Amino acid sequence: MARFRAMGLQATIDHLVDFDAVDDSALETRLASQELDLEKLNHLQRWWLQRMAFSARPLQEKMALFWHGILTSSYRKVGKGPQMLAQNRLFRSEGMGRYDALLKSISRDPAMMIYLDSRSNKKAAPNENYSRELMELFSLGIGHFTEKDVRESARAFTGWQLKARTEFIFNRGQHDYGIKTFLGRTGRFDGDDIVDIIMAQPAAAEYVCTRLWSFFAYPDPEPAVVSRLAAIFRENDTEIRPVVRAIFQADEFYSDRAVAALVKGPVELAVGTVRTLAIDTDFKRFDQPIEGMGQVLFDPPNVAGWPGGAAWLNSSALLQRINLANTVATARSGPMRFHPTALLAGQDLNDADAVVGSLGELLLGGRLREPERRLLAAFLESTNNPANGLDGEPLEEKLRSLIYLLLASPDYQLV
Amino acid sequence: MLVSRRQFLQASIAVVPAAAVMPAVFSRAVAASAHEHASGAASTGNRTLVVVQMAGGNDGLNTLVPANDDAYYDLRKSLAVPQKDILPINNQAGFHPSLASFKELWDEGALAVVEGVGYPHQSFSHFESMDIWQTADPGKQALEGWLGRYLQGIAGQQADGFHSLVVDGRMPRALYTENVSVPLVKRIDEYQLREDPRNSHSHAARTKALLRLYASSPGATRFGALLDNTLQSAQRSSQAMQRAHQQYVSAVEYGESRLSQSLRLIAEAIDAELGLRVGHVRIGGFDTHAEQLLEHERLLAETADAIKTFYRDLQAHGRAQDVVIMTWSEFGRRVSGNASGGTDHGSAGPMFLAGTPIAGGLYGERPSLKDLDENNLKFTTDFRQVYATVLEDWLGAPAEIVLGAQFERLPLLKPAARPAPA
Repeated sequence: MARFRAMGLQATIDHLVDFDAVDDSALETRLASQELDLEKLNHLQRWWLQRMAFSARPLQEKMALFWHGILTSSYRKVGKGPQMLAQNRLFRSEGMGRYDALLKSISRDPAMMIYLDSRSNKKAAPNENYSRELMELFSLGIGHFTEKDVRESARAFTGWQLKARTEFIFNRGQHDYGIKTFLGRTGRFDGDDIVDIIMAQPAAAEYVCTRLWSFFAYPDPEPAVVSRLAAIFRENDTEIRPVVRAIFQADEFYSDRAVAALVKGPVELAVGTVRTLAIDTDFKRFDQPIEGMGQVLFDPPNVAGWPGGAAWLNSSALLQRINLANTVATARSGPMRFHPTALLAGQDLNDADAVVGSLGELLLGGRLREPERRLLAAFLESTNNPANGLDGEPLEEKLRSLIYLLLASPDYQLV
Repeated sequence: MLVSRRQFLQASIAVVPAAAVMPAVFSRAVAASAHEHASGAASTGNRTLVVVQMAGGNDGLNTLVPANDDAYYDLRKSLAVPQKDILPINNQAGFHPSLASFKELWDEGALAVVEGVGYPHQSFSHFESMDIWQTADPGKQALEGWLGRYLQGIAGQQADGFHSLVVDGRMPRALYTENVSVPLVKRIDEYQLREDPRNSHSHAARTKALLRLYASSPGATRFGALLDNTLQSAQRSSQAMQRAHQQYVSAVEYGESRLSQSLRLIAEAIDAELGLRVGHVRIGGFDTHAEQLLEHERLLAETADAIKTFYRDLQAHGRAQDVVIMTWSEFGRRVSGNASGGTDHGSAGPMFLAGTPIAGGLYGERPSLKDLDENNLKFTTDFRQVYATVLEDWLGAPAEIVLGAQFERLPLLKPAARPAPA
């Protein structure tokens, strides 16, 4: 953080966005030293969670998470094998590139072709599953196409198949070479033509930019924000990177509306906690809590990904969030162990207010309000605290209960 | 338990503006007033509606099979259920062979099937169609779920327990309302606040501080009130559910399936008299675009077996007369199969209603296979007619207010089970 402060905002944005230039070999070394079988779901999950927590290119992983929630597939249907890993690598390599290219790649992606049944799309009776979601969820949104467009698009994707479930092949014998009428255009279209026609729709740029803004800043952006981003998207031939850069440079991104406007997703919450508290973990102990909070990587609830927002905050998920705070804050030994005193090292903190202020700044980034500050300071000093009085029990124990309350607090759930 | 139209309207209207200003305060006020009334209150009733969502779009045509219709075999071809395999319910149709449990309930007169259920200008998107079913608004304007609106209407008479329980990984839109926080249990053993393993004596003080933290400034962020309401609801319902779970002895062996286990938790809440009016559970996987025969068979068996087991358990606990079970799915499947051995999104399908209060039999009208709309069945009964029936004739709630329009009801409830007019 101090390093970014010294770099200044513009240089920091460039550093985050132009991540290809950032050396990430420490992460690769860390992962290579672990015996991970990336065809197994829980190993794959831990591999990705560690990438998110320990990468020097955090935005690359964040973009992969963004695409995983949109161009989504599930291990549950795809099954054991290299497919889910391959799809994840696609998001990492093409996630900031041109969106038309990414859509053409995902249309040939084995995991996607299994997940949405397009691999068995034959000309005699086309399967509409992929062609519908391509428009409804990946590019245009509902209301911008008709049922006939779904059927015509399915025809264009006929003959796109898989060999051995892992390799894209084009089966001429199963492709419908006939004339299709799609979104007002007529021709002997194939799947790539369908993507090009979709991306030429005004709704496509707006849809993609709205999804990006809602992921990074706040939902339901102002029309002016959307049209500004959509223009950048179009001027750059559907390239994502300039749009992301523009989001981070937008005044609205730093406005009050963007403060605590999003609910942290379970993965974001877990990874952020690990990063902030400097916990060294292989994430094995996080499998259950993350699942309990409602997000299993590589296993979204359905083709629409995770709904996010208020949907993360049902009673069950909230209890799990608070219980994760408990697990983390009370990890005195074992693989998740962390040392609360290390967080305050080098600071001269001699009363409860100062301790609360410092940890509040670390965990809530200055969003700690006066009533909460008073409440936490009182708790820290109260006799109900097993580590009562600042001078009595070891500071370590006092800090654990304070960190529990901060991690479990309403504001920590938001970003 | 009956709510008069006037009471309901008052609750719906009076409650909204106050809640819009300060939802967290509102819910606390409701809890407090309910607490005051709890001692001398009139009967809060004991009727429950348990909703079973069959998510993904159930293939209704292969669920209740028109086995004597040649058109079915002509159109369905290799995906058709062979005539010799079906479980006949009359000389025209029968259940899929994996629905033996439904056949059993049918023979006992405890199962009703409404055929051809759908709505005008049907959406073929899962998400849009689910929203329409869950908000009961094909105009797509409503924000709150139909059961959420019902829960809001009865919120004023909330007893110590809670009126609704969802057993699922996520909240169904049907129960969504801005003002009532609906408890959602994913797994019962995890549905509680954990202690600090080394300082278990600190639990009460820590939890108290946490609740105060949530209540301290609910208006400060967009989600503050929701978080506050949700924690209160989680805290109360988790304690009640843990007690119910520990005390419960089921009379039957529930299956291992998630649906079966979900229904068991609903049975526990009903048996513990937590005040449940609405339970919602879900079984997913009905989106059978490919190789559907075996998968659909498994899903149907799981659904029917779980519902029958639940019903038997209620019977053994003497609660069968208090519970109506209703299934729904966002749409049926296309009449002809695709080339992947599956079926694409279609239209109308059957709804099942089970329970002792149900007047078993067939309702609605079977859609014709000779009069299709782009290879889709034409619906014959609006799903809101079924909603209106369970709201009015089972829960005693004014359906017109909940649904925003009047719908002709079906005689699905035994006359003796229908509430007297309020």
